[in-house]
Amino acid sequence: MATKRTIEVELSTTGLGADGKPQRIPLVSGDTGGLALQTPPVLEPELEGEHMLINIGPQHPATHGVLRLVLELDGETVVRCIPHIGYLHCGFEKIGEYRQYNQIIPWTDREDYLNCVGNNIAFALGAEQLFGIEITPRCTVLRVIGMELSRIASHLVWMGTTGIDIGAFTPFLWSFQERENIYNLFEGWVGARLTTSASRVGGMAADIPDGWLDGLKAFVRTFPRTLSECDRMLTRNGVWVGRTVGLGVMNPEEALNYGLSGPMLRASGVDYDVRKDFPYLDYETYDFEVPVGVHGDVYDRYLVRMEEMRQSVRIIEQAIARLPDGPVNVDDPRVILPPKHKATSEMESMIHHFKNVMEGPRPPIGESYVAVEAPKGEKGYYMVSDGTAKPVRWRIRPPSFVNLSAIPKMVEGHLLSDVIAINASIDIVMGEIDR
Amino acid sequence: MAITTRVVDRPVDESSYIRATFQGLALSFKHLVDPHKVTVQYPEEKWDIGPRWRGTHRMLTTEDGTAKCVACGLCPTVCPANCIKLVPGEDAEGNRYPLVFDIDEFRCIFCGYCQEVCPEEAIHLGRHYENAEYERKDFIYDLKRLTSQTHPVCEMWDPADPRGE
Ligand code: SF4
Ligand code: SF4
Repeated sequence: MATKRTIEVELSTTGLGADGKPQRIPLVSGDTGGLALQTPPVLEPELEGEHMLINIGPQHPATHGVLRLVLELDGETVVRCIPHIGYLHCGFEKIGEYRQYNQIIPWTDREDYLNCVGNNIAFALGAEQLFGIEITPRCTVLRVIGMELSRIASHLVWMGTTGIDIGAFTPFLWSFQERENIYNLFEGWVGARLTTSASRVGGMAADIPDGWLDGLKAFVRTFPRTLSECDRMLTRNGVWVGRTVGLGVMNPEEALNYGLSGPMLRASGVDYDVRKDFPYLDYETYDFEVPVGVHGDVYDRYLVRMEEMRQSVRIIEQAIARLPDGPVNVDDPRVILPPKHKATSEMESMIHHFKNVMEGPRPPIGESYVAVEAPKGEKGYYMVSDGTAKPVRWRIRPPSFVNLSAIPKMVEGHLLSDVIAINASIDIVMGEIDR
Repeated sequence: MAITTRVVDRPVDESSYIRATFQGLALSFKHLVDPHKVTVQYPEEKWDIGPRWRGTHRMLTTEDGTAKCVACGLCPTVCPANCIKLVPGEDAEGNRYPLVFDIDEFRCIFCGYCQEVCPEEAIHLGRHYENAEYERKDFIYDLKRLTSQTHPVCEMWDPADPRGE
């Protein structure tokens, strides 16, 4: 073709240049008098024919949120991909600087909103490290149950929506049905299905109600059956295999270099799991397997997540068996509100109650970082305290954000329709990426 | 007791189109005739919400119909969404009561902290989820509305549910 040009629909953006370094695409005056965009000159000589820039998102159901992908296409093949984020920015971290530690917990529901209980607990763990609190044995086991339940819920959403993206509708219905069962359990425990706010610094919002464990046992009994049905629908299905094998391959070195974590990293063959390598909540005393893949493609990520759900069920079974009796909250009036009947009848408890609410628990000066294995990868909470009731700074290490950074690398050279599958395989949640 | 690593099986070679199609159809038909129904026919059939459900608020009242609230100011302080407006008043005997107690249900995130901290068990979240109104201003629940609602209240953080205190 004689003329080489790129159809410009892009405004100002940063992208990767031909040398792999980020560069700013200049915004210059075009001949028409208006502002037009010049593509980076380094790319020009390499491009064959006519390239087209297209947008996927931000309002596209297959981007799993308000992610915008700008794709440069050569025919159907992706030459370059620029992810744009920030459409869901809520300023959680800034808001947190004006809230007491317990008041931040409702905010953690809303970042990775598929893993609410897990976030609540992870934040509480971070704050407890700051306060120097040892939680009770019952609370530890309850937290493990909560974390693994929300891991299953998150992976179920992942499996269902990825199935829909690739064209398998039925597993979506089955996985959401099971997720409803998990949310029923959360509703019975803390009164909310999605925005749970389940933890408090030093304990949980509430102990599990009577009979709740029966519901959990029923779930643990029936869930593996649904899982194996989904497995039978997908794992050996020629269409599913054809649309996932060999896509978005990351080898172990690349995966480590990009800082991937969670199923994304393990699918590439690196057996890094925070529960195994830096145990918290006594995970080292549980008996489970960390599944790893070999090829690092979309199919391996699917297999790893399926196996993780099975292992989570195993962990929950062990947790039910060892759940001790006793108090859930630590016996420390500095951080925990006294029980209601005491607060309304005893003077001392009443004073603690008022002091706790009006002034808030005060940690010593210091900082803490706690990382947990969230469904999407290693999730960290970092908090700095200056001795007042509110953190000077708190920050989230969102696994989706780091995992998303690998998408330009993964989609390069693949077909446009495979971009959807690769993007789905990262399991992103925009609330966590933009915070 | 140990955490071990295992490489997942990768049954790519066993994949097929025709067998998978029939297997999938068989499973789907099995679910079609499964007597265990999960769909709730919503407007006719109501969802059965649990006793700890956190929904729109209610202010409990004493026997003579006035709000139990003593305007202590704990709930406006703890509310993470800053959606409670409280103006305290004092009667001739020095008893405090709320002159204004508005909750903006639009801003409320139903975290339940207000109920958790209330020393008088006055403000409660309700077991209620059908919240539609015709006008925006109707979502600012004032004291009159809060005390006149009748739906059951959330049992968490209440002596009614000792495990949830
Ligand atoms: S439920 Fe939470 S957000 Fe709503 S009024 Fe009570 S404290 Fe505020
Ligand atoms: S915490 Fe209870 S008593 Fe205090 S102001 Fe709120 S509703 Fe009134």
